[in-house]
Amino acid sequence: MLATVIYEEGDHRWIMFGRDPKKAPGIVDSNQYLIQSGDEAILLDPGGIELFAPMLSAVLKYVPADKLTRLFASHQDPDIISSLGLWDQALPDAELYAPGLWESFIRHFGMENTTYKAIPDEGMSIQLGKIQLQFIPAHYLHSSGNFHVWDAKAGILMSGDIGAAIEPHDAPLWVENIDRQIPKMEYFHQRWMPSNDAKLDWIRRVRPLDIKIMAPQHGRLFKPPHVEGFLNWFEELPVGSAIR
Amino acid sequence: MSAPVFVTAASISAELHQAMIEARGLALTAKNARALAVRAGSKTVGFRAITDFIEELASSIIQQSQTINTFAEHLSLKAVEAWRSNTVNQHFCWLITQNDQYLNSMSRQIQTSNTRNTALEQDLQIGLRKLIDQLDESRKHIRTANLIATSSHVEASSAGDFREQLEVIADNIRETANRIGGHLNRAHVLLNQSHRERKTKC
Repeated sequence: MLATVIYEEGDHRWIMFGRDPKKAPGIVDSNQYLIQSGDEAILLDPGGIELFAPMLSAVLKYVPADKLTRLFASHQDPDIISSLGLWDQALPDAELYAPGLWESFIRHFGMENTTYKAIPDEGMSIQLGKIQLQFIPAHYLHSSGNFHVWDAKAGILMSGDIGAAIEPHDAPLWVENIDRQIPKMEYFHQRWMPSNDAKLDWIRRVRPLDIKIMAPQHGRLFKPPHVEGFLNWFEELPVGSAIR
Repeated sequence: MSAPVFVTAASISAELHQAMIEARGLALTAKNARALAVRAGSKTVGFRAITDFIEELASSIIQQSQTINTFAEHLSLKAVEAWRSNTVNQHFCWLITQNDQYLNSMSRQIQTSNTRNTALEQDLQIGLRKLIDQLDESRKHIRTANLIATSSHVEASSAGDFREQLEVIADNIRETANRIGGHLNRAHVLLNQSHRERKTKC
């Protein structure tokens, strides 16, 4: 499991995990993120069952288990949170922040010990160590109950499936040329994202943010000017392509 | 490849459910036999006495099938729990080989998982032994049912005009008992073939 520190300032850092060369074939590659601040840590979109052991091992290189007391699931998909039943045994005192809409569904993955912290539709903020994290609504992008994570201090937006591209596990970490990245994202966004209204609502929410890194759950990460390049492209892209 | 215990237990539960349905049929047969014996009068006094045994036997099989069915369902749930616990343990065992910087912070969870895994495995083994005993007990009923069917034939032979009808009932008892026996035997075979997954401890 590749681990890359994408932001570090004092005891505040973001670590991206992914590009696992040992991942079983046929399983989509996914990016997981660990945010640390002070004595606390949160793991964003911990991943599927198949990823659990290498993820736990990778995380324990950066943070002791007793300091990782929070998990976040942007939505209910298996590549996001089907490992919950295993994390539940590994982190018996953990809290899971996830859409309230999906609570009774996500519990099917197994929760004996974990406390479900339901995020209301309008989003919410939490304190992590010395920083504030904001859960920004991204409903219908693609899941009906969906949130992204905004860290204003680092200027990082964890954008879930927005900006995602399905690429080989050895793809570069960063978008180097937006025009060359677009073909890799086009079908994914047109087919997975169902609503043009939802798309425009999300762009309206995130455009005022000073995004230094946009970090999706699959594929490469964006830095300026590619963040703005992505938003401009996405704004014009008709989505919901399965309905003709 | 043999099935995991939770599949076996669920399959046994299904066999016992079928046995219970057959036993209800047996109870109905007993009621028909009693009605016929009453109509036949003094020539079927012996047969009438046997119908009481058949009803009791059917009721006993129904009750026992329900008990085993419920127990097998419970055992299947326990087996799923044990399987999940073992899966967690397998991941933890792999983790120990990785020498991660903060591996020690997982000591409590690994210990808890090992203890839980051992306890669940013990529960499961006790449950499986209990299930074998219950199935053996039920199979004794089938031997009794076959004896009753033989006695019914003997009694039917002296029932005059009702002989043919009572023989049909006696045959029905034997066939139903054999079908119940078939379900119990299949449950027994499943149990003996059940895959005892090697538990992981680290």
